[in-house]
Amino acid sequence: MVDKYDQLEIRCSRLGGEVNFSYCRKEGGELPCPRIVSCWYSFFPIEQYLRESMDEKSWNTFVGQMSKDKITTLIELIETAKKRSQIKDE
Amino acid sequence: MEQVKVVLNDDEIPKQWYNIQADLPTPMKPPLHPGTGKPVGPDDLSPVFPMNLIEQEVSQQRWIDIPEPVLQKYLLWRPTPLSRALNFEKLLGAPVKIYYKNEGVSPAGSHKPNTAIAQAYYNKIFGIKRLATETGAGQWGSALAMACKMFDLECRVYMVRVSYEQKPYRRMMMNTWGAECIPSPSTMTNAGRQVLAEHPDSPGSLGIAISEAVEDAVTHQNSRYSLGSVLNHVLLHQTIIGLEAQKQMEKIGVYPDVVIGCAGGGSNFAGIALPYARDKIHGKKVQIIAAEPSSCPTMTKGPFAYDFGDLAKMTPLLPMHTLGHDFVPAPIHAGGLRYHGMAPIVSHLVNEKLVEARAYNQMETFDAGVKWARNEGFIPAPETNHAIAAVVDVAMKAKEEGKEKIILFDWSGHGLVDLAAYDAYFAGKLEAYELPDEEIRRALKAIEGLPKP
Repeated sequence: MVDKYDQLEIRCSRLGGEVNFSYCRKEGGELPCPRIVSCWYSFFPIEQYLRESMDEKSWNTFVGQMSKDKITTLIELIETAKKRSQIKDE
Repeated sequence: MEQVKVVLNDDEIPKQWYNIQADLPTPMKPPLHPGTGKPVGPDDLSPVFPMNLIEQEVSQQRWIDIPEPVLQKYLLWRPTPLSRALNFEKLLGAPVKIYYKNEGVSPAGSHKPNTAIAQAYYNKIFGIKRLATETGAGQWGSALAMACKMFDLECRVYMVRVSYEQKPYRRMMMNTWGAECIPSPSTMTNAGRQVLAEHPDSPGSLGIAISEAVEDAVTHQNSRYSLGSVLNHVLLHQTIIGLEAQKQMEKIGVYPDVVIGCAGGGSNFAGIALPYARDKIHGKKVQIIAAEPSSCPTMTKGPFAYDFGDLAKMTPLLPMHTLGHDFVPAPIHAGGLRYHGMAPIVSHLVNEKLVEARAYNQMETFDAGVKWARNEGFIPAPETNHAIAAVVDVAMKAKEEGKEKIILFDWSGHGLVDLAAYDAYFAGKLEAYELPDEEIRRALKAIEGLPKP
């Protein structure tokens, strides 16, 4: 089942290029891309697939993600970068 | 012989950008600092943007002068032509006149340089020496690379690794314009090294690439970060598209009934639409459509009745179409746009009902794009195909209703560096997977009780 879906191809509207399902499945490192369901639901039962392939904790983390506006994201990244830089300097 | 192109002379180029924040019926809520919960201030953003751009980000001034050096660079390809798509009109056989702004004539092949050049200029005069950014497939990265070279700035682009390996031509464009293009995750930043330590074969993501670019800007002297979409100042710079279009249409004595742009992050859509949204706010009758991607298939079966993008069910349900119904392009609510990383200004205009959002799936957009290329010659970027699909949609509706319409849309870029996408389409790789009947039954059971359109 996984191998079959992994070969499916879609145009990623975020990247602006073609990717396989295998990319969407791990785009977020441990988690799938936040948009995986909205991109793939018409191709196969993606929600069911994810529920079956993820443990409960990962699933809950995945569905609990909140969309942030860009400014908020940038400010968080600035703070993170500053902290990383301070740790490195110490 | 019918006139096809409407051109402006160099000295007719608009000298100011339009800021819609001055005209919004209700003001936008300011973004809040995630740490303090208070409105974000200029100092919060100063590590990544120069103060002159931060001032534009929060400005309420209606018209903002375009600096002479920026205008001089714009003149390399601007004003862009406004063209009439006579051949496409003939193909559609609908009572419509279709005009398009050809932003594909820029050196980088898209609308992106409209803000890349402005951002490079403002950073330069603020004393910045180098810019860092992230890019997916490279459309933004290549535009910024070119703009930085024009203003003698160093440029480093973190390109998502999966695209870096698949899209060599954009990377080569960046290199040609003198930028450093780094596959992300990289060993250049702590953020990248951390990802590589955990996932050595990581294909990267936009999230990782943004983290790297921001860290790069924050940790290097005289460096800043640059973003090609979403933010207010980016949309401001793009308004030159719609302002030129207004002048051009005025020259031939026409005004559009419908204005269309494709909406990913919202910048090219805003470019064509915001000057017309101003007209609409002041009473002009004009329909404005943002065309965005959807994966709804053009087939009569598919298990969707609500917005599966919101699995946590924290936004209103989005009715789309149900099994057994003929496919109808799905209307999409503002929440849908917001959830897809849309510019706050565009989401706000949708909420205000000044803009209507429509979603088109990749099969119908490529179908529209191929028809366009075979009749108008220019091969559109795959994102531009969304706008063309919306044009077809509007034209067919006009035909059905027997109403004449003048349509204006933004042809946001050419697809000459995206031919692999067309190849995938022609090879049938983008077609929806045909669901086995057993899975359809199971999926139908799963959506029992949910509201149907």
